[in-house]
Amino acid sequence: MSAGMEFGLVLGVPLIGAALSILLRPPRLVLGVLAAIIGVEILCAGALIWPIVAGVQAQVAWSWFYLDALSAYHLAVMMIIFGLSTVFAGGYFGEEIRRKEIQDWPVRKFAALWCGSLAAMVLVVISNNLGVMWIGIEATTLMTAFLICVHRTRASLEAMWKYLLMCSVGVACAFMGTLLVVASARGIEAGAVHVLLWTQLRDAAPGLNQPVLKLAFIFLLIGYGTKAGLAPMHNWLPDAHSQAPAPVSGMFSGFLLNTALYCIMRYTAILEVATGGSGWSLQILQVFGMLSIGVAAVFILFQEDVKRLLAYHSVEHLGIMALGLGLGGLGAFAALFHVFNHSICKALAFFSAGRMGQIYGTHEMDRMQGMLRVNPVWGLGLLGSLLALIGMAPFALFMSEFQIAMAAMNRSAYVALIVFLAGTGIIFVGALKHAIAMAWGEPKIPVRASAAGWTDILIVAGSLGVLLAVGIWMPECYRNLLWRAAAIAEGKP
Amino acid sequence: MLLDAVFVLLILTNLILLGSSLLSASIRIVAVQGAVLGVLPFLAMAPDRLGRVLFLAVLTVALKGGVFPWLLNRALREVHVRREVAPLVGYSVSLALGIGLLALAFWLGGRIRDIGLGVSVLSLSTALFMMFTGLFLVISRQKALSQVLGFLVLENGIYAFGLLVVVNIHWLIELGVLLDVFVAVFIMGVAIDQISRAFDHMDVDQMNHLKG
Repeated sequence: MSAGMEFGLVLGVPLIGAALSILLRPPRLVLGVLAAIIGVEILCAGALIWPIVAGVQAQVAWSWFYLDALSAYHLAVMMIIFGLSTVFAGGYFGEEIRRKEIQDWPVRKFAALWCGSLAAMVLVVISNNLGVMWIGIEATTLMTAFLICVHRTRASLEAMWKYLLMCSVGVACAFMGTLLVVASARGIEAGAVHVLLWTQLRDAAPGLNQPVLKLAFIFLLIGYGTKAGLAPMHNWLPDAHSQAPAPVSGMFSGFLLNTALYCIMRYTAILEVATGGSGWSLQILQVFGMLSIGVAAVFILFQEDVKRLLAYHSVEHLGIMALGLGLGGLGAFAALFHVFNHSICKALAFFSAGRMGQIYGTHEMDRMQGMLRVNPVWGLGLLGSLLALIGMAPFALFMSEFQIAMAAMNRSAYVALIVFLAGTGIIFVGALKHAIAMAWGEPKIPVRASAAGWTDILIVAGSLGVLLAVGIWMPECYRNLLWRAAAIAEGKP
Repeated sequence: MLLDAVFVLLILTNLILLGSSLLSASIRIVAVQGAVLGVLPFLAMAPDRLGRVLFLAVLTVALKGGVFPWLLNRALREVHVRREVAPLVGYSVSLALGIGLLALAFWLGGRIRDIGLGVSVLSLSTALFMMFTGLFLVISRQKALSQVLGFLVLENGIYAFGLLVVVNIHWLIELGVLLDVFVAVFIMGVAIDQISRAFDHMDVDQMNHLKG
């Protein structure tokens, strides 16, 4: 099979899924078809990703589609998150259908938009054209907006509006940045078609107009940073994450944010080549990373709602990734490692919080106590993922955070090191207190009994198992892929 | 000369918008602005690409001058609101701030031109002023519909900037961007409708349940 056909399939399959979700009626059938479509999609993506892992430099088709180590890695994480979330969504909405809390139409709408947002995110990751990448990001905003209010309440509508407006405005800034990047190539005679191709811009980077390019990067960082939830542009994030249904929150936090961060990585690569490896763009990224960690630390201390707590953890961890990328070298490697760790862990955390929320009928942490007794499977899921999120050893998140601290030490970036350690320290204490009370406290309200099925056990055990395994031992081919991806993000050959 | 006149016209639409309280009038002003933008490519284009320019210009005028106002007017009828009653910043103050933003745009326009974009200060400053106005409206207005108008003005500013500074973008990209903005306005219209049903109004300042 040619790469072109694989690129076509990986984009086309979700679109077929979206159409099917609209056409089919019974909600359980829709959820089944959705799972099958996502399964096929994962196979198609696997066929694209595998050669890259095996050592091929890049897969290219019509020069507009391009997959290298950096994008292949992100595509793989995306597929894992979508696979997990789709399986979980089956159980989550299945429970609501059983309780008759949800009608047919919202389930079909969810399935269609779910496939649509998958297609948009795939488009972002596989496109070599920076304009198409922007179109994909804007499309993810539009596709996911109504996913937030699958359950139409006042609060979810409010969250949706905030998300829609803030991200649209932010992403508009990113478009301004994209235009400025093109403008910086004035004088370099590229053909009309190729002026936005990332590969060509990177190769031509030393000849680009530097001041214009730097101005462009500021716009791009603010624009895509809004979507990635970096402070101080993070305001939409806690609302959207807390109001969306659990599978959607898991996907938002698990991959939507990373899609935007991925775009920023593409631009740091160009900036680094253009400025001869001066680290100018990386330093700015560091500042945003530190800000995010600081803001998250303050807000996590005062959280009462478990999903909002997790949302601020997202701000924190995206900040950690930005900081790691900004440090470069080992830091960039660790930041990319952190992408996978955080995505798996956060998806599991949102799933557990969502299911426990269904059981307790609330997301207030004060009232959600004694989880390990009420539902051992999801209780363990939430406890385990919270412990991993705050950086407990030997989970993989501890490893990646440790490497970022090492990178800061090696670079003598002491300000970054202090902010990082203080921030994660505060968060450790603040979140641990909540985690212990929720896991072992006395249940304060009578709760509905709910047995966990085998898929539930599989999701919890699988995610925690992977996080432990990768934390202790990292396969060689994975390590290689990450180093190659880190080199691309830093603009090294 | 004609080109300069168009820029002055665009600047004027922004100033009128800043001082207008009637939502239907605001929609009309933004429609005029969009239609004027659609004409801009003819004045700034290279003569050898008439077909492409024609295609995009017709599409732009149809969308920004026709479809968007129609969508927004429909949303407006559904919600029975005619005025932006209590904006965060009053109208005369908005106008005064607008003049300030215009000055800022001209100052910045001059600075940015110096780093080598190769366009006139007037055109660059106009695009910047539109972006500033859009951002200001999004932040300072309380009605969801006014915020959408602000978003559109911001988008118009970026569009104008793109037309001036960047001439060689593939038409597929421009088409995709237009499509995205179209879907955005459509979705915002639907969202306004749903919000007004749930809240009995579309005041964003009363959407304050989510905090911290």
